[in-house]
Amino acid sequence: MRRIASLFLTFGALGVATASPAPTVPGREAVRSLTLANGMKVIVWPDRDIPNIALYNWVRVGSRNEAPGITGLAHFFEHMMFNGTTRRAPGEFDRLMEAQGGANNAFTSDDVTVYQDWFPRSALELVFDLESDRIANLAFVPEVIESERGVVFSERRLRVDDNNHGILSEQVQATAFVAHPYQFPTIGWPSDIQSWTLEDLQRFYRTYYAPNNQTMVLAGDFEPEEVFALARKYFEPIPRQAPPEEVRTREPEQLGERRVVVRRPAQTPLLQYAYKAPAANDPRAPAASLLMSILVEGDASRLHRLLVEERKLAIEVSGYWHEGFDPGLFWLYLTLPEGSDPEHVQSVLDAELERITREGVTAAELQRAKNLTLASFWKQLATIDGKARLLGEFEVFHGDWRKLFDAPAQYEAVTRDEILAVARDILDRRRRTVGVLLPQEEVEVEAEEVTACACS
Amino acid sequence: MRLLLKLAAATSLAAPLAAGYSFAQSGPGAIQIPRHERIELPNGITLVIMPRGEVPLIAFNAVLRGGALGDPPGKPGVASLVAGLLEKGAGERDAFAFAEAVEGVGGSFNAFAGAESINVVGQFLARDQDLMLELLADALLRPRFAPEEFEKLRARQIELIKAAKDSDPSELLGTYGRAFLFGDHPYGRPVSGSESSLAAITHQDVLDYYRAQFSGERLTLVFAGAVDAPSLRRAVTRAFASWPKARSKPDALPAPAPLRGRRVLLVDSPGSSQTYFWIGNVGVAKHDPARAALDLVNTLYGGRFTSILNTELRVKSGLSYGARSGFTRGSVPGEFSIRSFTQTENTGKALELAIETLRRLHTEGVSSEMLESARAYVLGQYPLTLETAADWAAAIGELELYGLGTEYIEGYGPALRSVTLADARAVIDRAFPSVENLAIVLIGDAERIREDARRFGTLVEMELLEPAFRPASPRSAAAARSD
Repeated sequence: MRRIASLFLTFGALGVATASPAPTVPGREAVRSLTLANGMKVIVWPDRDIPNIALYNWVRVGSRNEAPGITGLAHFFEHMMFNGTTRRAPGEFDRLMEAQGGANNAFTSDDVTVYQDWFPRSALELVFDLESDRIANLAFVPEVIESERGVVFSERRLRVDDNNHGILSEQVQATAFVAHPYQFPTIGWPSDIQSWTLEDLQRFYRTYYAPNNQTMVLAGDFEPEEVFALARKYFEPIPRQAPPEEVRTREPEQLGERRVVVRRPAQTPLLQYAYKAPAANDPRAPAASLLMSILVEGDASRLHRLLVEERKLAIEVSGYWHEGFDPGLFWLYLTLPEGSDPEHVQSVLDAELERITREGVTAAELQRAKNLTLASFWKQLATIDGKARLLGEFEVFHGDWRKLFDAPAQYEAVTRDEILAVARDILDRRRRTVGVLLPQEEVEVEAEEVTACACS
Repeated sequence: MRLLLKLAAATSLAAPLAAGYSFAQSGPGAIQIPRHERIELPNGITLVIMPRGEVPLIAFNAVLRGGALGDPPGKPGVASLVAGLLEKGAGERDAFAFAEAVEGVGGSFNAFAGAESINVVGQFLARDQDLMLELLADALLRPRFAPEEFEKLRARQIELIKAAKDSDPSELLGTYGRAFLFGDHPYGRPVSGSESSLAAITHQDVLDYYRAQFSGERLTLVFAGAVDAPSLRRAVTRAFASWPKARSKPDALPAPAPLRGRRVLLVDSPGSSQTYFWIGNVGVAKHDPARAALDLVNTLYGGRFTSILNTELRVKSGLSYGARSGFTRGSVPGEFSIRSFTQTENTGKALELAIETLRRLHTEGVSSEMLESARAYVLGQYPLTLETAADWAAAIGELELYGLGTEYIEGYGPALRSVTLADARAVIDRAFPSVENLAIVLIGDAERIREDARRFGTLVEMELLEPAFRPASPRSAAAARSD
């Protein structure tokens, strides 16, 4: 990720549900799409509220496409996409875009790399020129590779090495998967950051950066036809490539709880759970997303209320379901007050999660989650940035942007029985990894322990 | 394009307005404030209603003048606890019932303190307008301040500061920096309190703050979005009628004196892999007439990706993931600051480079090509900051808090277009600190960077784990002036 604050892409809850009749989502008739002769798809949503345009270019490559030795390369590549082409020197991309009023950013996740531009409509053609240039003509300057390596290392230190949450979740993720590349941290292991070569980058570019492996979404102040004309002019001449190989590895069934303990200088201990969970396109997705909301979204949520307000065992509770191309993780993150006994907190948390898998959730809890999801959906649709992001998420992860407009009905339809069923599927102790971060000073010096057992 | 009518009815109720929209454009950056009504209620409350119909949401922003300025001496964090407790039980609802009422309908409701105000912001679906108003009125007029909720929030806030020290040292830089630079001036207070100040705050402090600071003439209420304006206006008038007009006036706020000379605060975080640094001095106020020129120069110096700072510290050298600068502007001058971080071994080099860029800004200024680029950039990005009803609620609340007038928004585009190279030079000379006069804060491994730190000015040290954001001996950078 280039500039924004969190490393891991959060595909927040997207759906909609409501007590009153589900509102129709306006805009379906305004959205248009075009597939170029080389296989690249362009999706546009005109919106003239402000004289600006948001562009998201989704490239189907992330850290799941990496292997030992090149972990972090998808993310490093994202950085290198700003560093020069055969037509433009390093730095020109940003200089030209900013001089015409545009700003940009990018992020990399386990699954995708996404390039974002926000600009006044007057810069539309320049942006197409710049975006197509780096897909067609990227160049690598050896000195720039070295300097960018330092930048990415600094990013890693910020987010992982000097951040206890980052350190622990990296260890948990690496432990939760024994085979699938979801075990790799998106930022990369330090030894790999040190070792990438020019050849690695060139191979990566040839394999993944092709028009048929990307989807471009625009929302804002334009006529669809002018965008399509620019797409034909700038992108259609770029040749199609052989599609990249599929990720073959499937994670084998987890047969027992795994546990990671990390010792660090810390005042506040941390506790994290990572359960094996469905992929984004699983039919249980709306229910899984609502389950997460019921557990941790807001002060009235089940776990916040119990652990933070009533029992005062945690100072923060949050969660994140990684909805990716392959089955990912359903995370719970707890920050504990100084001096806590994580074992005790874990026993209280486990009892509550077991209660949910036994008794399910209340109608009021489900309704609250549906309403929060609906409101979050509308907040995203209030901006051109949110529109471009949502269209892209539905197209890339759910196979069709049109599903965005069906989301309200999908979430509305989820029943308490479905929540109970998905809770039983996901909240299974045998299929989870528990991470604990303990203050270094308070324990005997002890090596980091990673134990896997077939217990329970 | 359509012409938009602005109403600023002083007393009587304005004619009902059709839900209109928002923007009229004539050239980049030419933003007009959407049609709205502005009313003063008899007890001094300012009410602004701005109908916007794009999505079925209503955003509100209640701004109560005072904020941390009202904290009692030596007890920063009271206003922050008061704000936090507004949503921990009010009217007929206890804390849980309040949260349930908000979230049960998919609403959001957040109260927080700033340096000069307490804000309560949130969004509800349009169908819940009545409930939204009931909750807002309860929180402001009938907060319960239950002692057990006070104890819980205070204890949790202390733990959250510890958690931030464990995992997010760069987020605390500004708090350390302001404490070091402003010293005993109210801008030096940690708005959310420190571990030690929070420990000293009593339930009575919270009650006293509420009694002294909450009253009608301090409050602005802004509603924007899919509102039913006439019914909202009537309901607000009724709901807030009982509030007293005035209790006390906010304390006068003196302008802080800029720091002369160089002072360095080293906050020891043993084992830290990077040094997180902040370099600052007193900058400009919200009302500064040269705002457009200041924004253009700061954009060029440290406000965007290709800025001078980011180019040197990231793009050319790879020393850091990023470097930025900015002005924090209040009713009196707040700080100008530079922020970045680098691997522990490179601390001296990165600091030198950052200071060198500031020296260069003063000696070389900016070119006309740079100025044109910054102008296009700020004009091009400005509309994205005023896109949603929540954006407008925040912007209007800011105008009212600082008494800025609509020119602040509508005149910004024209002002940006008229900035000259001479204007840029003038703000560099006046508002960007000289390299001779800087407060510098480093959070990092003291053992490994102490010698580097010493080279940049008079050194003061403290531990990251100390329960305050200032060294135990209460010497601030500003106080050191008189040494």
